[in-house]
Amino acid sequence: MMKKYETDDSFLGRWIAGELSEEERIAFEKTDVYKQFDIINKEAQLLDGPEIDVESALKTVKEKLATKPKKNKVIKLWRSISVAAIVIFSTGIFLTSSKTYTTGIGESQTITLADGSTVNLNANSSLSHKRFFWSSNKSVELKGEAYFTITKGDDFNVATSKGVVAVLGTEFNIKDRSDFELKCYEGKVQFTQNNKAKDTFILTKGMQVAITQNATKEATFTEEIPTWKKGVSTFAQQPLAEVLEELSIYFNITFDASSVDTKRLFSGSFYHTDMNTALKATLLPMGIKYTQTGKTIVLSE
Amino acid sequence: MLENEPSICEEKNYNELFRKFYEPATKYIYYKCGNLQRAEDIVQNVFIKLWKLCATVSFSKAKSYIYTASNNSFLNEVAHEKVVLKHQKATTENTDHESPDFLIEVEEFRVKLKAAINTLNGKEREVFLMSRVENKTYREIAEITGVTVKAIERRMSKALKELRAILGKEIKI
Repeated sequence: MMKKYETDDSFLGRWIAGELSEEERIAFEKTDVYKQFDIINKEAQLLDGPEIDVESALKTVKEKLATKPKKNKVIKLWRSISVAAIVIFSTGIFLTSSKTYTTGIGESQTITLADGSTVNLNANSSLSHKRFFWSSNKSVELKGEAYFTITKGDDFNVATSKGVVAVLGTEFNIKDRSDFELKCYEGKVQFTQNNKAKDTFILTKGMQVAITQNATKEATFTEEIPTWKKGVSTFAQQPLAEVLEELSIYFNITFDASSVDTKRLFSGSFYHTDMNTALKATLLPMGIKYTQTGKTIVLSE
Repeated sequence: MLENEPSICEEKNYNELFRKFYEPATKYIYYKCGNLQRAEDIVQNVFIKLWKLCATVSFSKAKSYIYTASNNSFLNEVAHEKVVLKHQKATTENTDHESPDFLIEVEEFRVKLKAAINTLNGKEREVFLMSRVENKTYREIAEITGVTVKAIERRMSKALKELRAILGKEIKI
């Protein structure tokens, strides 16, 4: 037969608390396990709990509380500092934010800068400069092609992907697409190529620097203003790839040149006014046939 | 909060609560975690929090706040750690008349009893120790642990059964 202490899950608990009925208690004390429970209970009651010094703990807590307010002040100070930092930082972002001008395919734009200098931005290009305090550090960033007419005065820098062009009152054209070309039309320009500190070029009127596939070449030219400003693109012994790139800047088209040799050199020009004429003027002399599918021009020999 | 209740924000009242509940709360946590330093840290931090919240905790609710907050931070901090309780050496006053042989056996038995108590699950151990070592009534233990008196009875019964299962063979009758 099962013992009551096994079937009743509160039996032993009640025994410890002295809450068993007289009947239950007497029956339990007669069982053979009673002695074991009794010894466990008696021995457990002889165990001592940990010794705890309440007064010294109270002292510790009071000390901690006394130092807390300081901590709070520090936290508050940190909060103010971080708020101030955020204000300064975001103002900083605003003050160092830049203004960007962008032209799409076939578009051009003339920008007048704060110092009176003008920039003629050619198609598919962008020019950006700091929104504030620009006059104290005249620097602009160019992607694509632009013709600069810089008012005489402080240093003026143009950052391009290939290097920095530094000028003093002058006129020049920068083309920074897959190839780079800098032409000086007036005054003096200094070009410092990126990552090549020694490669500094001083250009005067009629001089140019071109970087084609990492090869830097100096040359001279005779035109008075960039032909693109007259609505013409001209090429002198330049690879077909450049011509195709130029065409896709003025006309909303792309080329599939997989079956032609784009390294062949081209000399000639095209007008930006009419696409079909431009394609004929550039591709026919080179003996290249072309078919148009949507906006893609497929080239074949 | 009742307006005629003493405010915990008054140092006199705060000290009273501290002297009344610091020790039992620390023992309660100690029986859970087996690390006295840890238990004292937990309960001291609860009292520091109580001071900061003195305006929002009423005097009559302070007791339950202290136990509940102590248990919560124990659960957050040390519940996962292995428990090793170190009991003070048990008193031997009432064994004066016993033979030296028996004393050695009793000493051995006490070591085994402590080890067995340590193997109990936390809920049973805290009930067993608060009842047997601290002489707390089931009602008091129920109040501290936040469960019913019936549940305490069951935990106590289970603890005893488990202890006998481990120690039964050590006890010669």
